[in-house]
Amino acid sequence: MRWAQDLRRHSVGDLATVEEQLFALMLLIRSVEAAIERTHRAAKITGSFHSSLGQESCAAGVSLALRDDDIVTSNHRGHGHAVGKGVSAEAVIAEMFRRTNGSSGGRGGSMHIHNRSVGFYGETAIVGGGLGWASGAAWTRKRHGSDAIAVAYAGDGAFANGIFAEAIRVADFWEAPCLFVCENNGWAHSMPSDGVFGPAGSITNVVSAMNVRSEFVDGRDAVKVYETGCELVEYVRTGKPAFIEVAVHRVKAHSVNDADYRYRPKNEGAEWLREYDPINSLRASIRVEQQHAIESAVSAVVDEALEAASNGALPETSDALRGIYATRGLGWDGRAEIR
Amino acid sequence: MRREVWAGMAALRFVDAVRQALADEMEADESVILMGEEVGPLGGVFTVTRDLIERFGPDRVMDAPLAEASFTGFALGAATEGMRPVVEIMFSDFVMIAMDQIVNHAAKLRYMTNEQFDVPIVVRLPGGGGSNHGPQHSQSFESWFAHTPGLIVAMPSNPSDGYWMMRHAIQLNDPVIFLENKAMYFGAEQEVADEPPADPWAAAVPREGSDLTIVSAGRMVGRCLSAAESISTRGIDCEVIDLRYLWPMDVDTVFTSVAKTSRLLVVSEAVEFCGWSGEVASRVAKDAFTSLDAPIFRVGALRCPIPVGVALEDEIIPTVERIEQAVVDCMDF
Ligand SMILES: Cc1ncc(C[n+]2csc(CCOP(=O)(O)OP(=O)(O)O)c2C)c(N)n1
Ligand SMILES: [Mg+2]
Repeated sequence: MRWAQDLRRHSVGDLATVEEQLFALMLLIRSVEAAIERTHRAAKITGSFHSSLGQESCAAGVSLALRDDDIVTSNHRGHGHAVGKGVSAEAVIAEMFRRTNGSSGGRGGSMHIHNRSVGFYGETAIVGGGLGWASGAAWTRKRHGSDAIAVAYAGDGAFANGIFAEAIRVADFWEAPCLFVCENNGWAHSMPSDGVFGPAGSITNVVSAMNVRSEFVDGRDAVKVYETGCELVEYVRTGKPAFIEVAVHRVKAHSVNDADYRYRPKNEGAEWLREYDPINSLRASIRVEQQHAIESAVSAVVDEALEAASNGALPETSDALRGIYATRGLGWDGRAEIR
Repeated sequence: MRREVWAGMAALRFVDAVRQALADEMEADESVILMGEEVGPLGGVFTVTRDLIERFGPDRVMDAPLAEASFTGFALGAATEGMRPVVEIMFSDFVMIAMDQIVNHAAKLRYMTNEQFDVPIVVRLPGGGGSNHGPQHSQSFESWFAHTPGLIVAMPSNPSDGYWMMRHAIQLNDPVIFLENKAMYFGAEQEVADEPPADPWAAAVPREGSDLTIVSAGRMVGRCLSAAESISTRGIDCEVIDLRYLWPMDVDTVFTSVAKTSRLLVVSEAVEFCGWSGEVASRVAKDAFTSLDAPIFRVGALRCPIPVGVALEDEIIPTVERIEQAVVDCMDF
C-alpha cells in the first residue's frame, strides 16, 4: 500500500501487526485532515471541505481489507477513503490547494479526489451518486475474469435517499462484487440519523431484509471493523454484493463552514474524542517506541505533503476548457475542428 | 478488436434501423451491451431490441430492475471500466429519475477527474408526441441535454440516420443522448445509405430551396418537409435543414443556407421557450445578421404539458399547418 511505503521512507520498520497498521493509517488520515484544517484556518486554502477526523476506523479498517487492484468510490467526506486506498497525502492536500499535483490536477477540490492508478475511482459531491459507479465497475472486472471487487462508501444520509437501496438491489440482481459501506456518523448535516432510522444498526436491518449479506460494527473498535471488513470482502470476492454499517462519530462540524453549535452541544465532538478516540484505544497493543516511530513518520509525511502541495504549480488558466470530451477534436464549443 | 459487419441492407423502418445498428455494433464489438427495462425477451416496449437476447444472450442484453437511476449509474460504472453500454429508458420521460447519473456524473466525470475516466455510454430516449401516451409519456427534452456540457445530443429524423448515427454514437467515447421519436418507429421504410456520412456530425439538407431556410431535427423534419412541399404550390421555395445533432450543432450549414435564402424559421418539438431553436436563432442573428431580410421565426411546442390524444396534442406541438403559417408570415414581412 502506498501510504505504508510513504511511512517507510521515514524509517518506520515493518508494521507487523494489524493494530500497528490500523494505528499508522488512522493517524495518517487524522493528520491529513488536521493539516487541511490548519491550512484552511490560515486562509491558505479557500472553499469548503468535510473532515473525517474521528471517523478514521471505517476508512482504515475497510482499506486494510482491500487489495491494490480493488476499486473504491467515495463521497464528499472522502479524504480518508482516498489515503487508505493509496492516494498520497500530497495528492490529497495539493488538490485542496488546487495545484496540478493534486489528484485531479487542481480542478476538482476536496470533493473530487480521483486517482485511477491506485483504484481510487473517487469521490462524488452528490450524496449517493457513486454507488452505481462502483457496482458497474466491479461487475465489469468480474466479467473480465478478475476477482477484484469494489467498495462504495456512503453516509447514513445517503441511505435516506432511494438510490442507496436501489443500488444494492441492482448490484444483487446482477451479482456485482461490490461492498457497500455505510458510514453512519450520526448526522446528515444537521439531521440526526437516529431520528431518521432509529439507533445505529437499524440501517443494517433494512439491508438484511433485502436478503443481502450485511453486518453492523461499532467503529470505536478499529480491529473489529477490519475483521468484519475482511470477512465481507472475502464473501464479495465470490461474486456477490454485501453491506456493512460502521457506526462512527462525526467529531467535526459537517463542513468547515458549518455552524454546528446551532444543532448540537458545543464541544460535543471533542468530548467524544477524549472519551472514545479509536486511535488512542489502539495504543495499548503497540509498543511505545513503535508508536513514536509511527507518529514521527506520519508527521514527516504530512509535512512533506504540505510543502509539495504549497509548491505545486497552479493550473494554467487556458486549461479551464480542456478535457470535457474524449472524442478527438470535439472542443467545449463544438466548433468545426471535428469537420 | 472491432470487426466490420456492414454488408448493405434493404429499406428499413426506423425501429428496424436502430435495432440493426445495435445488432451490428454488438457483432463488431463485444464490449457493447444493452441494458434497460424489458429489453430482454420482450424486446423493449417499442420492439427496438426484439430478438437480440436470443442472438447475444442475457449477458449482453440485460433486463434491468425498474430502477432508472441505479441501472444508469451501473452502466456508467461499466463504461468507465471498458464496456460500451447502451441504456434504454423505456419512455424518455422516465429519464428524469436518472438525471443525476447523466448530468452530474456521466457528463462531468471526464472533466472533473482530469481526464482519468471516459464514459462511453449511449442513453436511448424514445420520446416526443404523436403516440397518444399523455403528459408523462410524450415530452421532448432535447433542449435540456443540449444545455449540459459533457453530453453529445443526437436526434435522427429518418431510418438511415437512425442506423448510422446509432453506430457512430456507440463508437464514441463520450456519453451520447440518443433521442428517438417514438412516433417515427413504425413509419415509412427508407433505404439505409451504404456508407456512413463522410462527415458524421454535419447537418443534412433534405430539401434545397432559395426563399426561406427551415431548420429542424428529429420527427419535426418530416413535418417541415411536408410544409415545404405544400407551400411550394404557392410559389415559395423552402430549404430544409436537418441538424441531426443538437450538440455539437452544425451552425455553418445554417449560415450557408441563410446567406442564400435570407430568411429563417426554426422548428422544434421541444418547448419553444428557452429551447434549442433559440440558440439557432441567436447564432444566426449575431453571425449572419446582414444576410437576413426578415426577423427569425420559431415554431416549437407551446409551454404546456402534452395532453393525450392527437387532437389536443396538435394544439401544442408544431403541425404542418402551423409551420406553413410561419413560413407565410416570415415571407410576408
Ligand atoms: C443529493 C444531495 N443532497 C444534498 C446534498 C448536500 N449535502 C452534502 S453532504 C450532506 C449530508 C450527508 O450526510 P451523510 O450521507 O450521512 O454523510 P456525512 O456528511 O455524514 O459524512 C448533505 C445534505 C448533496 N451534496 N447531495
Ligand atoms: Mg452522516
